Amino acid sequence: MSPHRRITDPVEAMAQRVAERVVDLVLNAVDLNAIIKRVDLNAVLAQVDLNALLAQVDVTALIDQVDLNAVLAHVDMAALLDQIDINGLLARVDVDTLVKQTDLGAVIARSSGGAATEVLDAGRSTAVGLDQFIDRWVQRGLRRKVPAPVAPHALLDGQDTPPAAPADTPAADPSETPTEEATPPPEASEEPATEATT
Amino acid sequence: MSPRTPAQSIAAQGHYAGSVSRFLAYAIDLAVSTGVFTLALAGISYVVQVVTGNQVSWNRQNIVVIIIYVAWEFFYFGYSWAMSGRTFGMAVLGVRVVRADGSAIDPRHGVLRALVFPLSFLLFGLGFLGILVQRERRALHDLIASTAVVYAWDARAARLRFLAREAETARIPPGG
Repeated sequence: MSPHRRITDPVEAMAQRVAERVVDLVLNAVDLNAIIKRVDLNAVLAQVDLNALLAQVDVTALIDQVDLNAVLAHVDMAALLDQIDINGLLARVDVDTLVKQTDLGAVIARSSGGAATEVLDAGRSTAVGLDQFIDRWVQRGLRRKVPAPVAPHALLDGQDTPPAAPADTPAADPSETPTEEATPPPEASEEPATEATT
Repeated sequence: MSPRTPAQSIAAQGHYAGSVSRFLAYAIDLAVSTGVFTLALAGISYVVQVVTGNQVSWNRQNIVVIIIYVAWEFFYFGYSWAMSGRTFGMAVLGVRVVRADGSAIDPRHGVLRALVFPLSFLLFGLGFLGILVQRERRALHDLIASTAVVYAWDARAARLRFLAREAETARIPPGG
């Protein structure tokens, strides 16, 4: 060992110990929480290029380290689903496209299709069309000022089929039912109800 | 009048049924009930001939035959309306008898409707005029029995079938 090293090595070690001690003393004396509170983190974050930072992150490796099953086990799915507007979600589904562009259409066609069903559907639709065609002309001929109701009160909520009445239900005379309901029935002149409401 | 698809009929479900649907349903019912009655008479004639050896011929003008026919028609319509609110013809056309307020028909009103149904034929069928001009498309027998007729077929399913058929047709290559 050179004379020069014999002097510098102990000094360097001592300087190291002094520095560590000073840092300890400073850290103990400083209230880091108070300092952090004074830092404007938003301003700091504004200067950080998060995109560049994220570009350097290996997301795949990150995900590999996460136990997603354990995370999902903690999720309250019922509460989550309660927050989702399922009806609103379904209303956004384009059923026409779904049926036309997926195998769903083929499944429906094979399971429920048939020449008789096809004829029945077409016949019923045509009959409804003719009914409405004739009704329009009759209404024009009668020149009614107040349009006629389109459906009985109980079926105005979009029910496709009438509800089954209990056998012991007494028959109600229509005169007993209030003629002026709180919600007036839709009139014949109104636009047809949308599919979502039926 | 443009041709209709099931999609356009969805909005009409639950609405008062019109004259064409109701007339076609009645025509089917009349054909079916008369056909069944004729077959029953033929069956009875055959059985009588086999058992007794005597040939039986039914005279349609015979008052007994007429009474039995009227009773059968009453049973056919009355039982159907009382039990399910629809006859065979109504099921084919997708219409249903309901109470005037839209609730399901009960047996009492079903039978009452069948009893007063012939009244609509009186005065050259003027009782049926209500289907055209009455605000709720109710004929005379509907007004008396406190009933109405509404569309009640699954137009939504029909629409899906319609779309599915279109999709299937589009997928089949020409000549395939």
